[in-house]
Amino acid sequence: MFERGRDLTQRFVKGEISRREMLKGASRLGLGIATTGFLLNEAMSQAIAADFDWQKFKGTKLKLLLNKHPYADAMIADLDNFKSMTGMDVSYDIFPEDVYFDKVTAALSSGSSEYDAFMTGAYMTWTYGPAGWIEDLNAYIKDPAKTNPNYNWEDVLPGLRASTAWNGVPGGALGSDDAKQWCIPWGFELNNVSYNRKIFEKVGVEPPKNLEDMLAVAGKITKDAGGPYGIGVRGSRSWATIHPGFLSGYSNYGQRDFDVADGKLKAAMNTAESKAYHKLWVQMIQESGPKNWSTYTWYQVGTDLGAGASGMIFDADILGYFMNGGDNKEAGNIAYAPFAANPAAKAPTPNVWIWSLALSSFSKQKDAAWTFMQWASSTEHDLFGARKMDFVNPVRASVWKDEEFRARIDKSYPGYLNQYEKSSEGSKIYFTAQPLFFDLTTQWAETLQKMVAKQLPVDEGLDQLAANIDKQLKDAGIGG
Amino acid sequence: MERVSTLERAIRTVLIVLVLVFFLFPIFWIVLMSFQNNDQILRIPPSILFEPTLANYTTLLTGKLQTTAGNLDIAFLKNLGNSLLLSTGSVILSLILGVPAAYAFARFKFRLGENIAFTLLSFRFAPPLLVLLPLSLYFKQLGLTDSYFGLIWIYQLICLPLILWIVRGYFEDVSPDIEHAYRVAGHSWWTTFRKIAIPLARPGIAAAGLLAFIFAWNNFVFALILASADKQPVTVGALAFVTASGIQYGQIAAAIVLSVMPTLLLALYAQRYLVEGLSLGAVKG
Repeated sequence: MFERGRDLTQRFVKGEISRREMLKGASRLGLGIATTGFLLNEAMSQAIAADFDWQKFKGTKLKLLLNKHPYADAMIADLDNFKSMTGMDVSYDIFPEDVYFDKVTAALSSGSSEYDAFMTGAYMTWTYGPAGWIEDLNAYIKDPAKTNPNYNWEDVLPGLRASTAWNGVPGGALGSDDAKQWCIPWGFELNNVSYNRKIFEKVGVEPPKNLEDMLAVAGKITKDAGGPYGIGVRGSRSWATIHPGFLSGYSNYGQRDFDVADGKLKAAMNTAESKAYHKLWVQMIQESGPKNWSTYTWYQVGTDLGAGASGMIFDADILGYFMNGGDNKEAGNIAYAPFAANPAAKAPTPNVWIWSLALSSFSKQKDAAWTFMQWASSTEHDLFGARKMDFVNPVRASVWKDEEFRARIDKSYPGYLNQYEKSSEGSKIYFTAQPLFFDLTTQWAETLQKMVAKQLPVDEGLDQLAANIDKQLKDAGIGG
Repeated sequence: MERVSTLERAIRTVLIVLVLVFFLFPIFWIVLMSFQNNDQILRIPPSILFEPTLANYTTLLTGKLQTTAGNLDIAFLKNLGNSLLLSTGSVILSLILGVPAAYAFARFKFRLGENIAFTLLSFRFAPPLLVLLPLSLYFKQLGLTDSYFGLIWIYQLICLPLILWIVRGYFEDVSPDIEHAYRVAGHSWWTTFRKIAIPLARPGIAAAGLLAFIFAWNNFVFALILASADKQPVTVGALAFVTASGIQYGQIAAAIVLSVMPTLLLALYAQRYLVEGLSLGAVKG
């Protein structure tokens, strides 16, 4: 029966029968959904194996360093297919996110060859790349002997491809012609509005159209919802406070973190437009943000939305996605909307976080590790994760067009596809790539905290911040 | 006998209760949380009345964590076992090395003795991260990376100075005349050490051992940097409940309750030695 099921899924992958025929056949054979899914995925793995020697590194043992994340779970669930297709063995170490990057930094800075490939964020590669700890993957992607002909790199969303490539020059444009591809996008999140439908209906408001509208909607929720506050955004003293909603809205007004001229950087956060934006943002938190805003990270923003303590968040779309399931009190009540802060903007411009895969320069089996990386970022695995697991958001355009994936999302996550489609074109990293990224962005968050706490007026605070940053840039030899 | 009025007794009781509530309430609340699900814990306002569930403990014991993003495998019991192995192993090794050394520092004057003792103490001064990166290079060369033996060795940085310096104080408190009398009776130095010195300093050794165990148990960074995921202690393992798809507060509370147990039981068992031992050391003349 199992063999006949295998035959059925292989015929479907070859295009000989339709999905409906395959499902009918599977049900006649008495195969459950899980078994059919497994066979289908196996057949797809065999299909991608057709045009490329996946067995070249048979017997090789790889070790990965992974963050505890749904993306890693999706990969692990599909890993046996990779092992059987290549004859390679893959082991992995998984660490919680709180300590994950400490582990990565320790492993790389000590030149450890223990891990061949690892998960990383694009921002981190601005440190790892110039330090010589990770490989430029262009050498692999562009080499037909190393990369299978069906890999279809162009299918990966262009904003994400560009955002993970940098030439290593402070202020150098991401994705420039001379950029090195420091990592491969794996899964990503963009920043829009996730909101509680019940609270919105109770108060009688619609998802906000721009930042001023957001202030009004959040204010009405705080006043009329009978407990929940209006808007959840991050506020801890960390770069992660600047990168989600805040920078997405900031970029929507055409504002930048730095001006770059002749290879030198100059702080640009004290323009008149920037000051106006900061004033609105600060006012929004003061009037309708959480009480302990200055301690808020990803976790608190999400937990409050899931527990019904906030009306909406302007943060990662997948944070809202996660809060719509599990044992969250508000599971099933969360909806999603695109958000352009600037009333004059044509579309949203979300800054993105990209979980990516990087190849360690200390690996002793780089070609074999690349074989794993191209499988893990292939259309087939992306499709498996998006359909069967929580590998959301997928990084490939073709996966976003997949009907099964779209139907699954549309059914349980109202507005999710729409918010993605309205903003995908403008989704990329809006920060300027430079080596002091973490320090300077943390200082920006610290200044924001002082403004919200009314210890510092916005105008004066931004002038001070820009002056401090300019001095540090000069000291580092990259300031203008 | 001093007479205590009823009013004074009542005030004293109230004050004791207040102090106890202040210190024990967080622990009491954590124990309550460990029997609730996330929904109950995050209720606004919080409530002391709820329908208890054992799901958090079941998750920890079975190693299957249910999250919004599906089932996750967790290795909390493995982490707990690692903590027990690392803490117990390193304290035993520290006692074997540290107690004779403490005796030597207390009883004998030898060249560079104080310098050596101070050097051992200075291991406690260095910020762990500062020494860990160079250490990880040495570990790689020696083939000790990702081994329990290597970790127990590194844990000596925590345990050995503590045991050496505390126990040294106790040996110095014990009059050498008792040992001299025993030696005069024809016993060897080693027998005197075993039969006289150690039994007399036992409260101090127990106290130092317990403190070293607690410090080793609470260590976080050594195993994180020097070992793989399967050798991580409970301090790193507990972070697994903070996931991208949400914080599992109930499981964190249950993990705290379980991870406090070994130290609590050990402390209760060694309580009489601890109080006696610490107070003896405190009044050294």
